[in-house]
Amino acid sequence: MSEQLKEILSRVAGETLEKLAFMFSFPEDERGTMILDSAVAATISFAGPFSGTLVMTVSNQLLPELAANMLGVDDEETTLDQQHDALKETINIICGNLLPAIAGKEVVFNIDAPVIIAGVEAIKKAIEDHDNKPASIVKLNIEERDCDLFLFINGKFTLAS
Amino acid sequence: MTLNILIVDDSAVMRAMILKTMHMTDLPLGEIYQAANGQEGLDVLNQHWIDLVIADINMPVMNGEEMIDRMQENPDTKEIPIIVVSTEGSKTRIERLQYKGARFIHKPFSPEIIRDTVRDITGIGVSDE
Repeated sequence: MSEQLKEILSRVAGETLEKLAFMFSFPEDERGTMILDSAVAATISFAGPFSGTLVMTVSNQLLPELAANMLGVDDEETTLDQQHDALKETINIICGNLLPAIAGKEVVFNIDAPVIIAGVEAIKKAIEDHDNKPASIVKLNIEERDCDLFLFINGKFTLAS
Repeated sequence: MTLNILIVDDSAVMRAMILKTMHMTDLPLGEIYQAANGQEGLDVLNQHWIDLVIADINMPVMNGEEMIDRMQENPDTKEIPIIVVSTEGSKTRIERLQYKGARFIHKPFSPEIIRDTVRDITGIGVSDE
């Protein structure tokens, strides 16, 4: 099941980035965890038939490109607020599309507002401070930049057929 | 006729994306207003003539579904067409919004989906095809 979950998370993230920001991503399973000194993260929590949290860490260099592509402007034209907003909207859309892909379209989830996490220790805490290990980790290469996704699920769940 | 449009989303980037998408279509756009939550959206509706509302659902202060309910309680706003643009994946919730008269577009969206849905719900531009 973990491989199926990883495939779903990777596919949903890839489709979201492609449609939302015209960015192509490739799985990078062999890569280690990204260097957090030059990263920013966003987290989003959800509750429904099962609850959990999705954490997305991206390289600092990816942020302006993500925001610029979403807005249709040059990288240097984006503000830090817009870059953080773009990351929050991206994880929101990934999470919103991920949950029905895992649990089916009949069930209802409540999704909290996404939150930006900055600073190495705060990001480490966001990744490590959970009761369970991640149900799935996906490492992506997006336009030569690193992006890691950690999906934490509390309790038991089954994949919709 | 031009369309005065209200875009309601707590993400300024998403509002800008929807606006950019609207400009990519050949729809006759009038004034475009923006709001960051349902309450701000209702305030704009009280102050300006709006032909179409494009709204998210999950927003702070007042969510999109409550805004739609409040619009439908008001004789001045109950006939305004509404398009919900959201990540919502629950069939139950989507059907509830559709029962309230809203059209639903799933994020992420394509410009064509926005254009076709706006044309369909307003009737503008359909006869030109």
